[in-house]
This record gives sequence, C-alpha cells and structure tokens, in this order.
Amino acid sequence: MQISLSKENRPIVVASLFVGVILIAGTAYTLSTTGTAPLLSVNYLLQQLQTGSFLGICAAGMMMVILLGHIDLSIPWTLTAAAMTATAVGGDLAIPTALGVGVCVGLLNGIGVAWLRIPSMIFTLGVDTVLRGLMVAQTGGFAPQDRATPVMLFLAKDRIFGIPAAILVWAAVSIVIATLLTRTGFGKSLYATGSREGAAYLSGIRTRWVIIGAFVISGVCAAIAGVLLTGYSAKAYQGMGNAFLLPAIAAVVLGGTHILGGKGRYVGTLVGVILIVLLNSVLSIMQMPEAGRQIIYGAVIIGMLLVYGRNQRVTS
Amino acid sequence: MTEAIVEYRGVSKYFAGIRALEGVDFKCRPGSVHAILGENGAGKSTLIKIMAGVLQPDAGTLLMEGKEVSFAGPQAAVNAGIVCMFQELSLIPDLSVADNISISSPPRRFGLIDRRAQVSRAEELLARVRCEDVDPNALVRELSLSRRQMVEIAKALGRNPKVLILDEATSALTARDVRTVYGLLGELKDAGVASLFISHRMHEVEALCDTLSVFRNGRHIETFQKGEKSEREIVRLMIGRDVDAQFPPKPDRTGEASTTEPILEVTGLKWGNRLNGIDLSLRRGEIVGLGGLDGQGQKELLLALFGVLKDVEGDVLIGGQKGLPSSPATAKNAATRMALVPEDRKTEGLMLDMSIADNLLVSSFGKISRGPFIDPGRAAAEIRKGIAKLQIKIGSADDPVMTLSGGNQQKVVLAKWLMIDPDIILLNDPTRGIDVGTKQEIYRLMRELANEGKAILFYSSDYAELIGCCDRVSVLYGGQVVSEQSGDGITEESLVAASLNIGVEAA
Repeated sequence: MQISLSKENRPIVVASLFVGVILIAGTAYTLSTTGTAPLLSVNYLLQQLQTGSFLGICAAGMMMVILLGHIDLSIPWTLTAAAMTATAVGGDLAIPTALGVGVCVGLLNGIGVAWLRIPSMIFTLGVDTVLRGLMVAQTGGFAPQDRATPVMLFLAKDRIFGIPAAILVWAAVSIVIATLLTRTGFGKSLYATGSREGAAYLSGIRTRWVIIGAFVISGVCAAIAGVLLTGYSAKAYQGMGNAFLLPAIAAVVLGGTHILGGKGRYVGTLVGVILIVLLNSVLSIMQMPEAGRQIIYGAVIIGMLLVYGRNQRVTS
Repeated sequence: MTEAIVEYRGVSKYFAGIRALEGVDFKCRPGSVHAILGENGAGKSTLIKIMAGVLQPDAGTLLMEGKEVSFAGPQAAVNAGIVCMFQELSLIPDLSVADNISISSPPRRFGLIDRRAQVSRAEELLARVRCEDVDPNALVRELSLSRRQMVEIAKALGRNPKVLILDEATSALTARDVRTVYGLLGELKDAGVASLFISHRMHEVEALCDTLSVFRNGRHIETFQKGEKSEREIVRLMIGRDVDAQFPPKPDRTGEASTTEPILEVTGLKWGNRLNGIDLSLRRGEIVGLGGLDGQGQKELLLALFGVLKDVEGDVLIGGQKGLPSSPATAKNAATRMALVPEDRKTEGLMLDMSIADNLLVSSFGKISRGPFIDPGRAAAEIRKGIAKLQIKIGSADDPVMTLSGGNQQKVVLAKWLMIDPDIILLNDPTRGIDVGTKQEIYRLMRELANEGKAILFYSSDYAELIGCCDRVSVLYGGQVVSEQSGDGITEESLVAASLNIGVEAA
C-alpha cells in the first residue's frame, strides 16, 4: 500500500480493512455452505455488538492504563467482584455498589503503582489474586444472592428503539472516554505522562494523580462490564471475567495504541473490539473446533501486530 | 598537501524531499583537527552520519584514502576506522563502565567475556583520558554527565580510529576535562588521525582546530585554515548575515539592587550531601548566574527550588511565602509562579514523540480550559502566540517535536513555560548544544523577560554566557556558594578562580 497515512491512523485503517475482510470471508463461507448471509443482517450484527459491548467497555478502561505504559491485569476479578458484591447487596443499591467496588480497586491499583512504585504488571496481578481469594471466601460458607437485579437485566437484554441497551451503555462509555482523551486537560496529561513521565512531571503535571485516575477509570469500566454481564447471564458467578483480559489488551493494541504508552486513538480501540468480536463469531459460524479457534485467534493477533505494531527501528 | 583520508564528491541527501545536504564536496586530511561549523540544521549531523555509515547518500560518492567506499551500516564504518561520538550519549546506563567501553568487541577467553582483561583495558583507556577516578566497575548511570562523556571518549579511543568524529563531545565537560581532550586531540593529530570536531563553542574551536569548514543550509560554504578569518567573519559565514553584539546590554542597576525586596531568598539550603548550606537571593528584573564546575550542586539547587527534591532543609522565602513548593505542579500554580527549563531537553523538557502543539500546552491546561474542557480556540491562540514570540521555525504545529532542530526544541520548552507567565524562571544550561543564532535569541529573550520584571536564575557551564548575561553570579563549590560577583566584577579569571575555590576573587 502506498497511500500515505499518518502513523497514528495507519493501524486503525488496517484494522478496519481487516474487519471488512472478515465480513467478506465469513459471508462467502456461509453463502457456499448454507446459501444465507447472516453476517450482513443488521439484527445479527447488533446481537454480536451486544455481546461485544462487555469486551468494549473493558477495553475502554484498559486503554487508559495502556496509554500510560502500564497495564491492568486485575480486570477479570474486578469485574467478577463488582458483579458478585452487587448481586449480594441487591436492589437499587446493586449498581452503585458495583461502581464503588470498581473505584476502590482502581484506587488501590493506582496507589500501588503511582505511590509505592510497584510495576503495574505485578501489582495488578496481585490485586487480581487477592480479589479472587476474597470472592471465594465470600461464597465459601454460605450462598449469597447472585441473581441479577431487574435494572441489570434491562440494561443487558432489553432494546431501546430496537437497539440493545448494552450497546447504548457502551456508546455512552465511549463518548465519555473519547471526550476525556481529546478535549480535557486530564486526557492530554495522560498522553504526556505515558509519553515521558519525567518530562510531564517537570512540566507541572500531577503525574501520580493522572496514574490513579487512569486506574480508577479502568476499575469502573470493569465494574460496568460486570453489571452488564450479570444481567446478560441473569446471575453473577465466579470466573465470569476470565474471558476478558487478553481480548481487552488485544483490542487496545490492535487498535494502534502503543503498548509502551503515549500514543493511540480511541477510535482504534473501538475498531479493535469489533474486529475481535467478528473474528470470534465467524470462527464459531464456521464451527471451528475450540483448539483451531484459539490457534487462529492468536495467530491473527500476532499477524496484525506484525503488519503495523512493531517498534520502528531507531536509526537516527 | 597530503591525500585526503575522507573525501565527499557531490554528496546530496534528502529527507522526505527536504534538502539536508546538497552537492557537498568536502575533504579531510590525516593529522588534522577539522572543525565543522554551522547552525543547527545546516547539515553537519547529516554529513557526519553519512561518514559513520548511519545514512547512505542519495547522490554523490564517498572516498576513503582515495578509494570509493559505501558503508552498509555503522559497523562497516567502524571497521574502516571511522569512529563517531554522537551528540546523544550512546552509553548503556545499566552496564558498567568497562562493559560499555568494550561493548562491540569485548576481550574473550574460551568464547566467554574475559572480565579481568576487560577491566584492565578500561583502566588503560580511562588513564589515557585522565579519568583514573572513574571506577571501571561502576555503572554508567551513577556517573555525572561530564564523566559519561569522558567514558564515551575512552570508548571511542578503544576502537583505534583513523578518523575520529566528535559531535558536540565537549558540551557537558568541565574545564579540566576540556583541557584533557585538547591534549588528546593533539596526540591523535601527531599519530596521523583526522579528527572532525563539531562544537558551538567558538573558543574551543579556536584553541583546537587547524582547519575550519562552514556549512549553511545543507551546503558547504567554505573551508579555510585557522587564523585566516576573524571570529566575526566566521559567524557571518555561518548565519549568512551580520551579527551585532553577542549579548544584549545590561541595564545599569547600581544602587537599585539593595532597595528592592528579593522575590526569592534562600538561607542555609541543605539536601543530602549535595547541597551544604546555600545562601542566595534573587530580585525581580535580575538575572543571577550560577557558576562553578559541573556537579557542584547547581542542578540540585534548581530542582530543590522547583519542588522536585524531598527532605530539603533550610529557610526559603518565595514571594514572601515561607517554604519550598512540594512539587513542580505546586511551583507552577503558586502565587509566585515558577518555571524550570531542565538540563536535558530530550528526556526532561519535552515529550519527543508528541506534537509541538501538545508540548507547548502541557503546562497550561488550566489556562486554556473552560470548565473541564479545553477550549480549542484559546489553545490555538496560545500556540500561535508562543511560536511567534520565540520565532520557532516549524512546518506545522502538529508535527512531532522531535522533527525540530535542537535550538527550536529548546525554544519550545521556553515557550511552554512563558505561557504560564512565570515570576521566577530557573534555567539549567539552556544553550547547551544549540547554534549561535538561537543562543543569541535566548540571551535577548532572557534580558527582555528580566526587563519585564521576571527574576531569572541561570546555570551555565559556559563562562562567557555568565559574564555576558548575568547581573550577578554566585559560584558554587561543594554544594555551597563560595563567591558572589556582580557587575564588572564578573570576569573569566574571577569565575575560574572561584570555581576551583582558590579564593583570589578579592583581587
């Protein structure tokens, strides 16, 4: 390809093209086998995006942290803990409780990384494990309530004007994050801190608060995803967040966010999520066995990163 | 005339269509010390990178000892005897000095690195650069910038160069090290080595080099022997126009100084073993210099005042308020606003990957925001103002700041801070590695700012700057102010004497 694109946008364009390729290849497959094209029906796509919204919201939070050059490995059990605590409390307080859990975990992660200076990879992994222990302990002696509240069910399953509410929640989160990143001082500080923390600090940015802020957003996003997922499966259960960690990181990176921080656009993360969701659904339409799916899924991620994700050679 | 060891014939190099070098013919003889002069962006770095095999010319040929050569990469150039010390230090901070010196071809025994041989080799080379005080087993990150540069020189010597390229290699050195380097270059010259020397310090060029070549806008303007042209003529060749006095005139402030209240007053400032009781005062409208050898606590003093260091002891009054700011963010937002232009613009001053616009705005989010949101109109206006005020030469404000030349990068750092309209400006060697033209613009700017009523504290490793710019100079030695000089009392002799703490400043 000889089209000149800004370095920022190239991954986004490549990922979008790949989304097209997946749709075309999947449709070609279904046409040849069953003679139908479900992948191109609006209803099917909305359904896919509905299930993709859980991942999308996790990835939005993860992107904040990755933009700083950090990572949040506590997402699976933050999500689970928020969901399980929320259902245990139940009633109208369920959702605020979930968000509260997200904020607390985010604060804890942020303080560990920003103040105690423990590498985020270790600290968030530790927090993830502690949360898992807490949840096991909570369900050990007795069985707390785990039913989704009516609001959760509504948010995850109902439709508003034909559009699944979950997608609208995802859209709202996306608008907030995109505005935060492009239009506020906090967003710009996030990029600056991720680009070079020392220079950002010496420029008078309160880098510690920026780091804490990013982790709190990540925790809250995981909690929102937990609420939706609880509604979708009608209950909260252990390990419900396990499937989201790697895809969330992959979506962010496929969307062109630099894994070492400082660069990336939110649109890219959106495209990355859609790519992963469609890839998964095409593979399941093809009735690919689980083993084959895993291999293709991993290989596609690596392959996409080879196309644009490699660090540029430093020559000058 | 001996045959040229390196010759360029009609060499051109373009970056994305922009000329970096055009039709350059250039010769360098063995046994000479050859200065390459020119403003930043004149093509010096490109010239050298082609010689060192980092870049390939787009047109023209490169000859070495009369034979046409084409280097596939830096290693090929090193093998041919061309050793280059780049402006950015190329040492690996987490390896020891000895490891760094022998990094590309360590001495081996049975295929494994022979540590003992490596250390003794390092000791030998360090002795040649008179740095016996550097422990070969110390990690490079523990050394000061000037020591690192000497290690870099030792590393270059270890590669047995035929052509040695020193790109701003002396910019961070102390006076004593510079003398050592002078001596070394003399030895190398007698051994038939050609040294190419890039420096923005005219007096070093005068003292060291026998041949001078001037570049401007990617072209080779003229090569001549030392002494053929006056300093003034050389500067004119470099910038293509006449320059007036290098430093702007200082206002007369006899009698005035003692009457105004100081905006910054420091008594007995202590930090670890680096600051040992600093006394200092600074008034509005004044430029106060910090002198002394490198590493006598100047950097720490500036960082302490800016709120970067923890556990600083001593009494500090800033604009009548007691105590130091607790962080750069507080220093910036306090009633008496402070700004710091840090030592290393590439790692501390700028986010190199980010755009010029983002770098300019990074300290001013509060100012350009309406509620929580940045006002794009105000942001654009501030960017325009900053770029215009400092005459930063840019293509688009959305380009990454790393595409700018060193001088323009430093202007971005300054513009960023002027945007918050600071009352006290702390400058840590702001003209290091910057071309003559930009230096003069910075001197003029400093005086303008002082005349507007700002107070400037200015550390420089170049005595000429301290003499030319400052109303007063405090010389630091061992973390203390050992001498205060003002007005006509600031002379090179008195500064050098005070720097070495040999107490003749009373004379």
